[in-house]
Amino acid sequence: MTGRLSQGQLIAAFGAVVLLVAMFLPWIGVSGPSLPSGVTLPPGVSSAAGSSSENIWKGSTLDIYLLITVVVAALPALLALTDSAEEFSFVSAATFLLGVVAVILIAAFLTVDFPDGAERKVGAFIGVAAAAVIAFGGYRAMQEEVAGEI
Amino acid sequence: MDANRLSQGQLVSAIAALALFIISFLPWFGVSGAVTVGGTTIGGSTNFSLWEAENPLDIYLLIVILVALAPAVLALIGDGADAPMAAMATALLAGVGTLLILYQVFDTPGGADRKIGLFLGLIACAGIAVGGYLTMQETSGGERY
Repeated sequence: MTGRLSQGQLIAAFGAVVLLVAMFLPWIGVSGPSLPSGVTLPPGVSSAAGSSSENIWKGSTLDIYLLITVVVAALPALLALTDSAEEFSFVSAATFLLGVVAVILIAAFLTVDFPDGAERKVGAFIGVAAAAVIAFGGYRAMQEEVAGEI
Repeated sequence: MDANRLSQGQLVSAIAALALFIISFLPWFGVSGAVTVGGTTIGGSTNFSLWEAENPLDIYLLIVILVALAPAVLALIGDGADAPMAAMATALLAGVGTLLILYQVFDTPGGADRKIGLFLGLIACAGIAVGGYLTMQETSGGERY
């Protein structure tokens, strides 16, 4: 089944799975102010202090874009699983392109577009690494296709 | 500079990309509200262009515009550089961009109002995708992608 996939397609599919999992991990963290030491709250009053985190699904169009990238990157593997005879030449180039743009978009999200006062969480870093793996896998698959044609 | 060097698809992509760049400065989203104090209602509204709305769509569409304009600029300056992936990249990225704008039409950030720029941007981005697709067909000469 996976024998029909090239090394590049396997790398891209692995990156797609990691990116999909990373999208459900925390990307943004918000910490509330904590009470000064020695201050006790009266019974029945709770403190709002603490931290919360959100994944990418509650954000913006970035979630939809990354989902499209995951689907395109995993497409050759999905087709191989269903034994579909399909040419992947367009998909490899598309995977490379979408992966590169995904790296740029996540990097921009982590720098210029990141909400003020929030913390960058582990999901965002795994996400940018997974997008880079998808781009590398797509590039590798393109090279393998060219080498196969010669 | 000779515009005849551009194929029909490249011309469509380039014009739509320039249009999208201009449209990006028009209002895309709007927020309005009203407060009633002592029987007097005070209202107001603010509009946001693509660049002012906190959304990664601005960076994405800037990439789409640059990718769509690059082949046209290279052809116009007579560089002669071959960019085999350019047409596919233009069609793919603009196609995805059209989907992302369409998503914003149905799910505006923070429930904001839809403004004219959002709809014009949708049309312009679809125009870039069509131009990219036409260029793909022109360059492949019927070859299957």
